[in-house]
Amino acid sequence: MIDPKRVLRALAEHWSLLDPLCERFDSGTLSLVELRAQLAAQRGTADAAEITALLDQWIRLDILVPVAKSPNRFELNAQIHDFLAYLRREHRLGLCLEIEAYLRHLERLAGHIQEAFAQRDSQDLARQLRLLDMRVRDVLKKLANDEQALVGVAERAKTSDRQIPLRQRYAEVLATWDEYVEPMIQLVAADGAFEQGVRRAEQVLLHLLGEQQRLGQLVDDDLLLRTHARILDMQTTAQLTLRRARELLLPLREEARRHNAVTRGAALALAAIRRKGLDGVPQAALPLFSRPQSIFLGTANQVEAYVYALARFEAKPAHFPRAGGTRRHMPSRAPLTAREMIERCEQALPLPDLMQWLLDQVPEGATDELLYWFSRLSRDSRFQRERLARRDYLTREHQVSLSSYALTGRQA
Amino acid sequence: MIIDLKEMTLLAAIFRELLKGGHISRRDAELYAQLNTLQDAYRALFKAQGFELVCDSRGFYYFVPEQMGAQVNKTAQRLALFTFILVEHLADQGRDPLSVLDGGSLGRDELPGLLDKYSDLFVQAEVASQDELEEKIMRRLTQLGFASEEQGVYRFLAPMHRFLDVCLAVQQDRDLAASLHSHLPLPTPALGDDSESASAAEDDDEEQQLARAIAAERAAQEDLQ
Repeated sequence: MIDPKRVLRALAEHWSLLDPLCERFDSGTLSLVELRAQLAAQRGTADAAEITALLDQWIRLDILVPVAKSPNRFELNAQIHDFLAYLRREHRLGLCLEIEAYLRHLERLAGHIQEAFAQRDSQDLARQLRLLDMRVRDVLKKLANDEQALVGVAERAKTSDRQIPLRQRYAEVLATWDEYVEPMIQLVAADGAFEQGVRRAEQVLLHLLGEQQRLGQLVDDDLLLRTHARILDMQTTAQLTLRRARELLLPLREEARRHNAVTRGAALALAAIRRKGLDGVPQAALPLFSRPQSIFLGTANQVEAYVYALARFEAKPAHFPRAGGTRRHMPSRAPLTAREMIERCEQALPLPDLMQWLLDQVPEGATDELLYWFSRLSRDSRFQRERLARRDYLTREHQVSLSSYALTGRQA
Repeated sequence: MIIDLKEMTLLAAIFRELLKGGHISRRDAELYAQLNTLQDAYRALFKAQGFELVCDSRGFYYFVPEQMGAQVNKTAQRLALFTFILVEHLADQGRDPLSVLDGGSLGRDELPGLLDKYSDLFVQAEVASQDELEEKIMRRLTQLGFASEEQGVYRFLAPMHRFLDVCLAVQQDRDLAASLHSHLPLPTPALGDDSESASAAEDDDEEQQLARAIAAERAAQEDLQ
């Protein structure tokens, strides 16, 4: 057995060296060379013998232990590491599963207590009650530690560099939420393992109190009442821890979600604009501005010009359809502009045959119009094109023979 | 409600700013403070005149034009486009878009890179050069109270939330997302109608005029027949 006094003395004596080492060990193991370099830097000495003696002492006292299968690498003994973390007020977030395991154990202990009482075995009953009490204390300790660890998670997210991406900054928050808070919500829910375990232990203890009054005491009532009170305390603490976790992390999680939503929304809007133009963004979403309105009278010159323009106003001659004329077409559509046509063409890329595509697009189009578009689109510098073999195409009125183009994509 | 005009010492300045489509935020400390103090009185007074004053809890005031006459103008589209581009650009660079657009800043020297990278999109908003970007977008942002400019650094102000809200609205627009992710062809664009051609004609280039001329000639021939 290692003498506790010697361990404690070594920790106290070498605290100034161990404290910074803890941080290094938090992020992994250290090789013998790294350890030596670290200690030499801290002590400001290059005396190898002195450092070797120090390391020997730590290894003998089990403060430092070799890493399994890597004898040249060392880590802090897990027990010592926990103790030092406690002293340094460092809290590592545990797993929700650990709490669940403790609670399952509580349920089993409640069963053992019931059996011991049924067999009137006072010694076993006292032992099981002590175990139950210790287990509850373990849960309480763990909850307190987890709460502090959660505070640390939120603080790290809030104080980290604002310039780094939010996804990175809040990665720990999001992971903590998914891996700790969500399962805790399930655990502490009315039908979760926490409530079940607590209810079972509580029922057994209350039943025991009643039975002791009827059948005579096997253990001190105070022990039962204390354990019962601690279980209730544990239940309240779990709920408070969960509430605190939500208060701390929910706003950050929401901020991260909002950030993601804004970035995604912007990307969606740009994609829409690329495909459909500026009007591709739903107009209802855009903010409305009151337009700058002139509320002042113009200058005399402006008024004069306005009146002059009014006086010389001539209406454009209106063309009325002839009464007897038969309309061969439905109300005429406004022609497509070059911009619209190019947009359509861009959206339809790649086109295996431009002329054929035009015939599909404008089946009623006149030959000259189709040829105009063919010439316009095939010459457009924004498209990559490949010449095709000559063949015949049938427009509404003519048979046209030409070498069409395949538009393979945008010009890089 | 009793409105005491004597208390509203900055009424003229506030009204002028809001009427031109501007936003009043903490940058305009005096105006903002008076609006905060006499919020109800100002709202009632403007309402009586037919203006709806919006007091956004994120720290800014603006007028909502009446729905009847309201329309999304080119400026709104341009500024929204700029916001989308900036969000994506910053996210691409690994910077936090929200921290820049919500009180953060952007150097003027970053604009050329932005223009270069997104030239295809800026062209749609008729912005083709750095001068046009500064004139049509950055100057409008500062005029309307979305940003302030000092020594070549643009600082974004609280009203930018209006554009961030647009991003959120677009993100929630399932129809838009569906149409973008679908492989089916998009609905054909609506053909330009005659009423808008009057204003559009000014912008048309030679080729578009030619296309119209061909169609007009054909229509005339049909009429003769």
